[in-house]
Amino acid sequence: MIDRISDKSMILEKALDAAWMRNEAISNNIANVNTPGYKKSYVRFEELLSDAADKFQISGIKKDPRFIPIGKDTKVTVTPQIAQESFTSMRRDGNNVDVDVEMAELAKNSIKYNALIAQMTKEFGKIKLAINGR
Amino acid sequence: MAFLNSINISASGLTAEKLRMDVISRNIANVNTTRTADGTPYRRQVVVFQEGDKLAPFSSYLNDASKNILGSGVKVSGIVEDKTPFKSVYDPGHPDADEKGYVRMPNVDVMAEMVNMISASRAYEANVTAINSAKSMALKALEIGRG
Repeated sequence: MIDRISDKSMILEKALDAAWMRNEAISNNIANVNTPGYKKSYVRFEELLSDAADKFQISGIKKDPRFIPIGKDTKVTVTPQIAQESFTSMRRDGNNVDVDVEMAELAKNSIKYNALIAQMTKEFGKIKLAINGR
Repeated sequence: MAFLNSINISASGLTAEKLRMDVISRNIANVNTTRTADGTPYRRQVVVFQEGDKLAPFSSYLNDASKNILGSGVKVSGIVEDKTPFKSVYDPGHPDADEKGYVRMPNVDVMAEMVNMISASRAYEANVTAINSAKSMALKALEIGRG
């Protein structure tokens, strides 16, 4: 029941997970800025989500097997994935971490995370309103 | 573990850069050391960094998540000696001079050490920033559902 209410926040949760994972990936890149041969890793999520959203179709809720199916039962299942950028090289030691890019990504990611938290808090506020009334 | 993993990762970076800084300090301090315990001049030391082990929970080997494994920061694989030859300086009055009056001086280049020191210091700062960012994100996450 609560799942049904907070369906949208599942996407938010995944986005939060992705942002957290991205923070880890950036931390890992920064920690390895002086490691010879290290290749930077990054998190793919937004593009996977938009791919999944393209395939998404409106479908009826099927709580009971006797319900008439409307549309295909599609569910957006996207999980953040870690990828490695292994073809470029910034320096002669084979490392391709650019600290400036990583710092910018870190700031961006942190702001995105805060925005997602604000959105989620609002989402829960709505549920609370629905439960308690004004 | 997973929750504050990014802080652990950055902490490994801090430890590694700090060690690098220590070794650089040792090189600079010994720039004129002509006599070590084994009688030879001081040899410049270099810290070798290595990517940290990829720690993965066992369950991740069983499913598709196996590719979602991040490394665990950086680790120091060793402190090795720089094999470049010693510098010869003509100084007949020096107690360690050979019969022709040349003294073998350490292969430490102060200028290069200073540059490495700045690099280590900047990398350290970058790791500190990453820790602060992770910390503020984690604190923000505690505010979910509070408003």
